[in-house]
Amino acid sequence: MTGQRPLPLADETSAGFWDAARHGRLAIQRCTACWRWNHAPSLACPACGSFELCFEQVSGKGRLHSWTVLTDVPAPGFRERLPLIVGVVELAEQQGLLMIANLLDAEPAELRLELTLEVTFEQVTEDRTLPQFRPVRH
Amino acid sequence: MWEFSDKVAVAGVGYSTLTRHSERPLARLAVEAVDAALSDAGLARADLDGIATSPAMPRYGGAKGTVEGIDVVTPWHLSELLGAQGQMLWTGSTNGMVTQAFIDAAMAIASGVCRHAVVYRALHVPAGRYANFESDFAAGADQFTAPYGFSGPASWAATVLRRYFELYGYGREDLARYIVDNRANTQLNPNGYWRGKPIGRQDYLDARMIADPMSILDCDIPVDGCAALLLTSTERARDLRQKPALLTGFAAGTHPARFGLPMTLEDIRIGCEQVAERLWNSSGLEPRDMETAQIYDGFSPFVFLWLEGLGFSRKGDGLAFLREGHGSLDGLLPINTGGGALGEGRLHGMTQLAEAVIQVSDRGGERQVPGASRAVATISNGLAKATGFVFSRDG
Repeated sequence: MTGQRPLPLADETSAGFWDAARHGRLAIQRCTACWRWNHAPSLACPACGSFELCFEQVSGKGRLHSWTVLTDVPAPGFRERLPLIVGVVELAEQQGLLMIANLLDAEPAELRLELTLEVTFEQVTEDRTLPQFRPVRH
Repeated sequence: MWEFSDKVAVAGVGYSTLTRHSERPLARLAVEAVDAALSDAGLARADLDGIATSPAMPRYGGAKGTVEGIDVVTPWHLSELLGAQGQMLWTGSTNGMVTQAFIDAAMAIASGVCRHAVVYRALHVPAGRYANFESDFAAGADQFTAPYGFSGPASWAATVLRRYFELYGYGREDLARYIVDNRANTQLNPNGYWRGKPIGRQDYLDARMIADPMSILDCDIPVDGCAALLLTSTERARDLRQKPALLTGFAAGTHPARFGLPMTLEDIRIGCEQVAERLWNSSGLEPRDMETAQIYDGFSPFVFLWLEGLGFSRKGDGLAFLREGHGSLDGLLPINTGGGALGEGRLHGMTQLAEAVIQVSDRGGERQVPGASRAVATISNGLAKATGFVFSRDG
């Protein structure tokens, strides 16, 4: 235990997602048979069952589907990050395409459904970067 | 309709003491609960020939205890402790939830594989925080949640509750009535962990947040303890000590959660509706036939989402149903009449099954719903591994 946040351990299925994040790109898994997007990455397409999946870069735009505000540490490494906002983000590419991220540069009081968000990247260690989201400011 | 409807019955209910941290090992609590269920039915250990549970420790993050007798109690170990290993004709152990083991046991009884089956759930509270992701790395589905601090089930439920609040214009104040009345029900339940500790509306509104908007009073409390139910044929049950509670129908859900996103409002809805459809088909009954509902409340939002999924209220009206007191002990549909898991302690749905049995066998004492002849019980959050049951009074 290092007191760090837990680091994602990429595997054969998820490597494309984390590799892209390390290069500052949000890439989401896509089925080459039915062309549905899928997140989190899985071995087979949950829509059609195909094993032929690839990763494709997405716009990084999304809307807020739901959220929770944590004022109690969920794990040791989050002590300095409270209150921590966890957002359920619906990506622009497909209805119901949801991913989890922290909402950065956001105040709990401004959160509402459908708030427009954009991806941002937080480098956590030398070789690990988390895709995160923040409200779009005009 | 299920071919064996009303032919299998619960003839005994048994509890160990339920405390936060017991000085006695879990295996002893399991023995205590099984003995209590047998004695309730007027049976002895020698009568037992079937046993089942789902033994796993449901810890999130941190080390998941696997020590037999301390962290978990498998049916093989418990049979041995009961001195009943040699007489078991059927042993069931599922990696789903214990309520699926209950379905397995009902089918074992119906098919004549065994005569008296006990279904138990023993749960241990490990040292340290229950939901605390202590590893340096997050693998598998956790890699998409834990690095974001989204590793505790209460935070998952919080996103469901928040979306429901925002879509339908509710707030925490709308849940207060249910939580307070539920705690009042607990005062009438001898097994209730929170018996002796009633709360008021302000206690709920001021409660410490676990994951906003989920407060500590929206989460069931993990306990060291065990509950056990004794199943047999209805015919046999009629010769035993208690009035039998007949199993009229059951259902198990198969709508999966998404990988890396354990629950969403929309998935829970689909799942609850699926379980409901299967349950009403299996029992040949419908919501208006039910006189009480025992609804899984590991997290409070599940209560009103099940109400909607089962057809007791329309989409978005479930929380208003609770806010108006319709689920209170003297309401239209008394819900969790013994205080549910929020009041009794975390027993993974055994609370709901036991209370449904108690109500239809007219053993509720001060919390008895007068004349209750049908009770529905639903367990889990509607997603895969969720189950539903209808119990009926005999005669």
